[in-house]
Amino acid sequence: MIRKTFSKEIKELMRDGRARLSILIVLSLLGAAIWVTTTHYQNVNQEYANAITSERKVWDNQGEKNPHSAAHFGTYAFKPKYPLSLIDKGVDKYVGSSIFLEAHKRNEAQFSAAADQTGLARFGDLTPDFVLLFIIPLLIILLGYNSFTKERETGTLTLVKSQGVSIWKWMIGKWLALFSPILLITSVLFILTGIILSNLNDFGVFNWDSLLWLSLIYISYYIIFTNLVLLISAITTKSGISLVLSLSIWILACLIAPKAASNVVESEYPYPTRQEFEAMVLKDKKNGLDGHNPWSKEAKLLEQKVLREYNVDSLHKLPFNFAAYRTQKGEEYEAEVYFKHYKYLKKQYSEQTNVYRNLAVISPYLPTRFLSMAISNTDYATHWDFSDAAEKYRVATQKFLNDNTAQNTVYGQRGYTADPDFWKELPEFEYDPPKIETTIRQNKSNLYILGIWLIGSFSLFLIKTLKI
Amino acid sequence: MLKYNFRYEFKLLIRSRWLQVLSLVLFVLVGFSVLNGKDKIEKRERIIADAELEVEKSDAMMLKLIDSVTRGLSVSAPSWTIPTNPMVVGNYHPRIASMKPISLSFIATGQSDLFTSYIKPTVSGDDFALNFSEMSSPIQLLFGSFDLAFVIVFLLPLLIIAFSYDVFSLEKERGSLRLLAAQPIAIHSWLLQKLSLRFFWLSILLLFTMTFIVFLSGVDVIDEPLSYLSLLLLALVYMLFWFVMVFLINLWIGNSSKNAVALIGLWVIFVLLIPSVINQMGSTFYPMPSRTLLINEMRVKKIEVSKKQDEILDNFLRDHPEYALNDSSQSRGFYHRYMASQELVKEELSPIVNRFEEQLRKQQILVDRLKWISPALIIQESLNKLAGNSSSDYESFRFQAIAFAETWREHLMPFLYNNRDFTSEDYMNLPKFEMKRIKNKPSTAILPLLTISLFLLGIGFFLSKTGYKRFNIINE
Repeated sequence: MIRKTFSKEIKELMRDGRARLSILIVLSLLGAAIWVTTTHYQNVNQEYANAITSERKVWDNQGEKNPHSAAHFGTYAFKPKYPLSLIDKGVDKYVGSSIFLEAHKRNEAQFSAAADQTGLARFGDLTPDFVLLFIIPLLIILLGYNSFTKERETGTLTLVKSQGVSIWKWMIGKWLALFSPILLITSVLFILTGIILSNLNDFGVFNWDSLLWLSLIYISYYIIFTNLVLLISAITTKSGISLVLSLSIWILACLIAPKAASNVVESEYPYPTRQEFEAMVLKDKKNGLDGHNPWSKEAKLLEQKVLREYNVDSLHKLPFNFAAYRTQKGEEYEAEVYFKHYKYLKKQYSEQTNVYRNLAVISPYLPTRFLSMAISNTDYATHWDFSDAAEKYRVATQKFLNDNTAQNTVYGQRGYTADPDFWKELPEFEYDPPKIETTIRQNKSNLYILGIWLIGSFSLFLIKTLKI
Repeated sequence: MLKYNFRYEFKLLIRSRWLQVLSLVLFVLVGFSVLNGKDKIEKRERIIADAELEVEKSDAMMLKLIDSVTRGLSVSAPSWTIPTNPMVVGNYHPRIASMKPISLSFIATGQSDLFTSYIKPTVSGDDFALNFSEMSSPIQLLFGSFDLAFVIVFLLPLLIIAFSYDVFSLEKERGSLRLLAAQPIAIHSWLLQKLSLRFFWLSILLLFTMTFIVFLSGVDVIDEPLSYLSLLLLALVYMLFWFVMVFLINLWIGNSSKNAVALIGLWVIFVLLIPSVINQMGSTFYPMPSRTLLINEMRVKKIEVSKKQDEILDNFLRDHPEYALNDSSQSRGFYHRYMASQELVKEELSPIVNRFEEQLRKQQILVDRLKWISPALIIQESLNKLAGNSSSDYESFRFQAIAFAETWREHLMPFLYNNRDFTSEDYMNLPKFEMKRIKNKPSTAILPLLTISLFLLGIGFFLSKTGYKRFNIINE
């Protein structure tokens, strides 16, 4: 019975011009989206590779220079693109891709792509994640809204029932008929992506595990929509009403919930503005040790402490240049200030995450969106991770430079320049995104929520349709 | 007949609880979005006011310091923060260049979550690297915000579709169409009347709800009655467009659920697909040059200039004799060399920086041409402009702020090169930023959109009049 229902439904779908047309449209959209993102990423990755070598060359060839001047001259950390950003671009467009690493200051990533586009960019891009998250659920609705209502409307429901058919086999047949075209489209897309990715050499480390996870997430998302659409079709009496209801759910889950959530988050757990944030940092910085200012109270305290520690009575007798030591201590203090304020941002961010998580109760879109971005390494957490790594590197670089001055000069000496070859000794900045296992562990709650949606919607569908 | 139709429709809408449900839904949606918008402008106003207060305070400190120094007292501040040095004023006591919200800013977030509403340019900073982006969670930027524009552009058409997708097909499915056909009225006129009545009721509801909520929330729109009127007219014209779509689809397609599918298809195309395709075309045809390459270029230039600073300074002073008119001391320090080098780097990088502006301008031209394909785009853009939060508003702010950075620098440069101290008298003459709002004309979209809608309506009306059979109105 399952097989018969299945083949009948599939045949019907294939005969329906609208179904054929919508599947065709979805496929061509996906094709266009993949083509666009692939070319885009090849360019970006080329630029990234060039940027890194060119920046390193600039750094290495600074010539004779005071290490602290070099620290002010600074260097850049560039954020790479990851293979799966081909599928989900996530928040990439809204975060900068380069961080300027200089003395005394933790900078934010600069130059987000969205700021370089017209206002239209806010409508969204033609990317695979747009099709996967918005359009395919819509396709499920269009293909399935009348699955049960048409039986009622044409009167075939009575016929089916009078045949003594097992209702659940009939249901499963219908379910499979709706789900399998979607599964087919999704699988083709993911396999295609896998093949494209493994054939691009400069695309970072691609791993099939992540792709598999990603495809599982999307398949679960579609199962949830399939359940919901069929459930609504089973409990309504008219196709029109079933369609309008399913669409309302789609609008609520995919459009209203995320936007409303973002507004709630904005008013409950707002970020400071850039200017406010800088003012707060500045205030804290002023209250502590300034590496450039030998006359401040903190500088004097440090002086006394160091003198005591080394048991000498003059700064000149220390085995290192105290001025450079103070610069380094000031640097460490400033790093702490930044750490404190960024910790506050992170706190706000984690509160915000909780709001999104709670709202996932009304929207399967939210956990899917977050999981998809996380696995693709295009989520906000990965960006944080990158920016933290860059900060760690910045602090280490400052120490590397200040230590050089401290070791090679004496207190009171001016005009020191380091050897032109010295810059090459600075280790390169290396960053690896979180591994898939870590990502999954960090996003466990989203997985659970998705799982609850999956099981819940399916049970509801079973219970309701059995009563048909 | 219109009278009967009117009464019948009204009773029908009341009894089916459509009007009640619709009022409630509109009330909730508009209410939530207006409150959100209001929150946002209040926050923005507060932030700018705080920043201005901060500057006032720091100015007072600065004047006190200047006073102490000129009177020869010893001060506890480190030497490089003493504001008799013009570069200290230029770097540590910058002015605020801000873009304050306007009375209708609450209707659309536009670009205001992406860009900051004020900056403080310093003399020694790189103008092209001025950071105009706001510190906001990228997730929020990705999801966008629930503003009135979202309700109008995205949700209103869906309400219209849900409200009347089956207005005609239902009569057919019920069989009451045959009765109607026996009446002395042409079917398309009857359908038009029926839809016009729904349009009428929905307009009343929307106008009433919006005005009620706006006044309730205490947003000040009385100052700009014309802008508010434009907002209402834009919403009405957009509604009209969607009602025309419903009319056409009802004529063309005969079955309720097919109607709904077709209308949703149109919605997806107009609201989701066309905007993202046009956006994609913009960035594919006129790709932005790489920002990372700009950085590399800048770094190489900076290394180059740092190696020949003295030479650069000499050339600079030769080119700008006006900067050092009254300098007899000829003393040259770090800042003299640095500022001259900065100027050179800026000049040499300007072709690259201009390329960004050029590409963005080209993208914008493309968008301006193609936006007429989708009414959703036109309305969104018009609402952004009404709110003073559109791309062009922020672009204008960016240009004005950068120009101000230049003014700021030019004002202080003569002090530096003449080796003249900054005094409390000079404080009075410091330049101030005054934002000049561009003259947006968002109401210009109303007439063309009205024409398009009426034209489409006319076509539908004409075709249905000439060819009943083709449209299969009665015989199914």
